Amino acid sequence: MGRVGRALVMHELLERARDRWVLVISVLFALLASAVGLYGRTADADVAKLTGPSLVTLASLLVPLVALVLSHDAIVGERERNTLGLLLSLPVGRFEVVFAKLIGRGLALTAAVVLGLGAAMAVSDPAGASALVGLAGPTLLLGLAFLSIGLLISTATRRQVTAASIVVVVWFGLVFFYDLGVLGLLVVTDGGLSQDVVSALVVGNPAGLYRVQMMETFAGPEVLHDLGLSSGLPGPFSVGLLWSAWLVAPAAASGALLRRQKVV
Amino acid sequence: MKSLQARGITVRFGRIPALDDVSLALGSGRTTMLVGPNGAGKSTLIKVLLGLVRPDFGVFEADGRAIAIDREWKTRIGYLPEAVAFSENLTGTQVLRFFARARAVELRRVDEVLEQVGLTQAGRRAIRGYSRGMRQRLGLGVAILASPELLVLDEPTSGLDQEGLGVLWSVIEQWRESGRMVLVSTHDLALMERRVDDICVLQAGRVRAHGTPDVLRRSAQVPHRIWLEIGDAAETRVELLCQAVRKWGKGSIERRDDRILVELAPNEVLELVGIQAGFPGVVAGLRVEEPTLDAVYDKLLGAA
Repeated sequence: MGRVGRALVMHELLERARDRWVLVISVLFALLASAVGLYGRTADADVAKLTGPSLVTLASLLVPLVALVLSHDAIVGERERNTLGLLLSLPVGRFEVVFAKLIGRGLALTAAVVLGLGAAMAVSDPAGASALVGLAGPTLLLGLAFLSIGLLISTATRRQVTAASIVVVVWFGLVFFYDLGVLGLLVVTDGGLSQDVVSALVVGNPAGLYRVQMMETFAGPEVLHDLGLSSGLPGPFSVGLLWSAWLVAPAAASGALLRRQKVV
Repeated sequence: MKSLQARGITVRFGRIPALDDVSLALGSGRTTMLVGPNGAGKSTLIKVLLGLVRPDFGVFEADGRAIAIDREWKTRIGYLPEAVAFSENLTGTQVLRFFARARAVELRRVDEVLEQVGLTQAGRRAIRGYSRGMRQRLGLGVAILASPELLVLDEPTSGLDQEGLGVLWSVIEQWRESGRMVLVSTHDLALMERRVDDICVLQAGRVRAHGTPDVLRRSAQVPHRIWLEIGDAAETRVELLCQAVRKWGKGSIERRDDRILVELAPNEVLELVGIQAGFPGVVAGLRVEEPTLDAVYDKLLGAA
């Protein structure tokens, strides 16, 4: 990454740190995560059985939202403020602008996730807190995947309000309704879909991939089998590929789209 | 860079030509004003120059050599977009520091620029508290930060108060004196009139006229307005003068209280002076008004 890209990464991070919405939603995540940690501690339950899964549920709802809030105005915001032309008049490529924004906002997201999970670990039973460390990586990947999706939406739209509306729809769609859709498909086909297809459909959504991955971590592969996801997760290599695809593909599409757009 | 020439720049958005065979020359130490109605192609020409829009045809030449609008070229240009609005969460200093890092400019230059655009105190405050003029001045600061060879200003007078205009004039003057180039796109001809060396009038993507203000005045053939101040002479003598001018048959004449307004081509003014000299004591004073650039502009576009 060149000089402009590096400067843009730091600029994006600084801008997010001063964004009240980002601060509010990050603090909300940290407060709710702490509440989950405290509840697990007072209930004297096994971290892996209560605190961990509860944090997964919370993170699978809130982290995509934080990521989409962080990214939805990345390009369209510059366009609306008349600063996109100014930014692109610097000696920098359009792909580099997109990836610098992804990294800068990704760092802000990392801070929000670390703050939330760190708060939960801090108030959890110290003996089991280390079990929560395994949450950090996949939770971050989940956030970065949604950050990348938000970036694509931001590039594809002409108005910030349109981008904001679309990310809300995407959030509801992927976080809430996608699994219902898969269930509906099973009902419609009267269970005619093979378990491999169902597994592929579930892990084809970053939120689903995250839930399944965490379920395997906290409850073991046999739970996935009981749920009909017989093949469970693909191997670690395929999981890595899936996360990479969700991370890179929307951002790359965003860069390609921006490259084709006339900044007028 | 002593000169920059655009030759035959053509840009089409689909079938619509945004720029059609546009040629333009910018000179060292000169300020060139780009004018034209909305949709004339001013912003598109600027964006081609900045590498934001790729032309379908045409070349740019710097000092007679063809140049590519690439990253190296972009380091030589400073740009103020129209109605720029930086992130409201940041301070002016933070915005300038970002552009300083991006353009490899020493950070101490940020303070110099803040002082130059009159934002030394406001630089520490969040931009959400800035007036429109302060935002415009910050944008101007971003444009001049790296002391570029070519300064491109899109509607720079927009939202500026007297203090802001003073800052803008001093920047333009500084660029002219140091032999660099300024390209200004504006609708505000009256404000810019005394600050420009060359004017390029665009209309429907084509160059309608290009030259110094005097050349454009001549080519537009907008009449000069000559005010003859009437002295203490008798009304009959005044009327005789009016009749003589009417009989002369050039331009138009109009009596306005104790003044006579005659509209003439510039080369006829001396003849009029000669005519009034034949009526001693009638005219106490004579004032020649050059046509304003607004009038020249209207005439040029109206005649198209």
